[in-house]
Amino acid sequence: MMSYIWLQTADGSIQQVEQEVAMFCPSICHEIQTGMGSSKNCAISLPSQVNPAMLSLILDYCRFHQVRGHSNKEHKSFDEKFVRMDTKTLCELTSAADSLQLKPLVDLTSCALARMIEGKTPEEIRETFHLPDDLTEEEKLEPLRNISDDPRIRLLNRLYARKRKELKERDRSKNVEVEEELVDERSVDDLLLFINGGNGASKDVRASKSKKKNRKRKDQQNCAPSNCTDKESNVLNSMRHNAKAHSHFLPNFGDALKLHIEDDRFAPEGDFDDGVDDPVLREEIDREVEDFARRLNSDWPERMQEILSLGQERKRAPMSTDWNGSLRTYARLDLVQK
Amino acid sequence: MNCFLWFIVFSKRKEPPMFPFNAEMETDKISKLPGHIMDRILSHLSLRDAVRTSVLSSRWRYKWVTLPHLVFDNQSVVLSSQDQTLIKNRIVNIIDHVLLLHVGPIHKFKLSHRELQGASDIDRWILFLSRGSVKEFVLEIWKGLRYKLPSSLFICQKLIHLELFNCLLKPPPKFDGFKILNSLDLQHITMDQDVFEHMISSCPLLERLTLMNFDGFIHLNICAPNLLFFDVGGVFENVSLENTFHLAIVSIGLYANAGYDQNVILGNTGNMIKFFAHLPRIQRLEVQCFFLKYLAAGKVPGRLPTPCIELNYLSIRINFNDVEENLAALCLLRSCPNIQELEMLARPEEQTSVRAVANILEEDYLSCPFNQLQLVKIAGISGGRQELDFINFLLANSPVLERMTIKPAALDGALELLKELLRLRRASVRAEIIYLDPER
Repeated sequence: MMSYIWLQTADGSIQQVEQEVAMFCPSICHEIQTGMGSSKNCAISLPSQVNPAMLSLILDYCRFHQVRGHSNKEHKSFDEKFVRMDTKTLCELTSAADSLQLKPLVDLTSCALARMIEGKTPEEIRETFHLPDDLTEEEKLEPLRNISDDPRIRLLNRLYARKRKELKERDRSKNVEVEEELVDERSVDDLLLFINGGNGASKDVRASKSKKKNRKRKDQQNCAPSNCTDKESNVLNSMRHNAKAHSHFLPNFGDALKLHIEDDRFAPEGDFDDGVDDPVLREEIDREVEDFARRLNSDWPERMQEILSLGQERKRAPMSTDWNGSLRTYARLDLVQK
Repeated sequence: MNCFLWFIVFSKRKEPPMFPFNAEMETDKISKLPGHIMDRILSHLSLRDAVRTSVLSSRWRYKWVTLPHLVFDNQSVVLSSQDQTLIKNRIVNIIDHVLLLHVGPIHKFKLSHRELQGASDIDRWILFLSRGSVKEFVLEIWKGLRYKLPSSLFICQKLIHLELFNCLLKPPPKFDGFKILNSLDLQHITMDQDVFEHMISSCPLLERLTLMNFDGFIHLNICAPNLLFFDVGGVFENVSLENTFHLAIVSIGLYANAGYDQNVILGNTGNMIKFFAHLPRIQRLEVQCFFLKYLAAGKVPGRLPTPCIELNYLSIRINFNDVEENLAALCLLRSCPNIQELEMLARPEEQTSVRAVANILEEDYLSCPFNQLQLVKIAGISGGRQELDFINFLLANSPVLERMTIKPAALDGALELLKELLRLRRASVRAEIIYLDPER
């Protein structure tokens, strides 16, 4: 004898749902307890985010999860299949689940959305979620300066630099007067920080996680206090991970805490290298830049024109001069690289 | 010139990217999600990825600043140089930047970058956090000396979880504990004896306590009425668990082999009885390193006055050649009638005890049924008489045993061991004895 309750979605349509399934949502559960939903007349009105399509998805989810017999594996595989939908639906579903206070579903969909963002370039993310690309170049560079040292960003900048150089040359060939080279006011440190970012050291630095908590093996052979305590060996292990092939380091346990690693290949301060030491990687990036260039080729010239023409109308007037300044800088760097 | 005109004409037809298409606005659902959902999505990403979303579009510029969890580790702060000053400046720069741009409450703060040494900048960040309502604080200093925590840490009264690695704790005299602290994890830390005791006793809601490799105190006097989980590994002289009636999971490793002179232990109650006095609800127990030796000091009864009826998992590191330890282990086993899983690991580097070895009498192996014991693991043995007697005892008293796994310490004598194992009688018809090759 299954009892049913009545739910009304934002568009006015009313449907009947098994009570057990609907009770899985805390907010519906709450409403039922206050006596609502028992008949068509007093149907529980759901929040506006829950349209019929979302409701049916949510009910599918509840129907599976409210059954107690399933194993963890079954839950996991159901969840994985469940979130395979387009981003638009996923966002709507997150919103709807949140309005019904259905936390497990919100967590599931948030995680799925995060997975779609993780590890992608800004372009890819914009494409996935249909985001407008409405930030200026300056604004884009600002937060990246300190946090992200991504080879992809460098790739983008190389491309921009190249494009600017081409445009400059085209201008030059039309006998447009070139201004005097402005002195680049930005400090060396700033540029370095921006350019000299992490170049794949990330995979070295990611040492194994469970070194600290040796819970299982804490009573090994050398559990009597010796020179090599956990931390020192950890430090040493991480040192081993960090050191590049050519570097030297002192394997002296006593001095482990004051280890100094000399890296032969560490680029000295004055070098304007963009951090890519590996020639193979550099070649690959060059190839990617060409590819990228080809892809962007269709709308790049227009964008350039727009930026140039709109630059005067808006308050971005100071930007145009900065932009020219940065153009100068990138062009120069490009030359240095060669 | 023609192509120049063409560009202009073409560009006028197309909408400039500054004003997004209406269609785009409709399909861009994600930017419209409310703040708390966006926080949740971004918190699944590393801090680095989350901050990078600020370049996606104008709406996304400051979506990350309300993140309640901030984790600064090697994934969020990627460095390439090895120069310590550069590294430090970089990390400090980034954290300062993030904290300044951040808006709203910070619930979790974790700093665990492998390259960072203790620095006064950390003081500044802790001070900043203490003005808010931080709930979880994790600080791991992987390089350098013990980092002395500033007094502002001890003002964070909203702390629920505190985790410290390679730090020095010296709270101000007025410090009166963390009133809602639930979980405390201290590894490679230094603190005074009275500071330690005061810390534990003044955190009334403490449920989880982990202590590894500590300096500055040697008496573990734990008075924690709500404690459920206790994990300790280090060098200490004694353990005293008081008022810990809910303690369910205990793992203790005593790293130092202190000699326990029987004559010195005064009184009638040995360590064994004292230890278990306040552990009626214990469910999982791991006796590691030399802790069994500590328990064996003093008078060891045949069994404990009150059995540990809820204990279902027991793991013991034992020297089978030491009579006292064997008796202590037997006492333990006899006091756990409902044990389901047992693990016994031999301490291999111990030499044969000077006392006569064949002291464990038949009556010590009195029949004592383990009606729930299903899984037994024995490792590091070499086939000595004591070990075989013990195995025999277990096999004879486990009617529902499913599997016993035996792994010797070395290949020598393994064949003899196997021969002896074959002979042993088993009480359980389903019992499998699985022999594992010793590790190289």
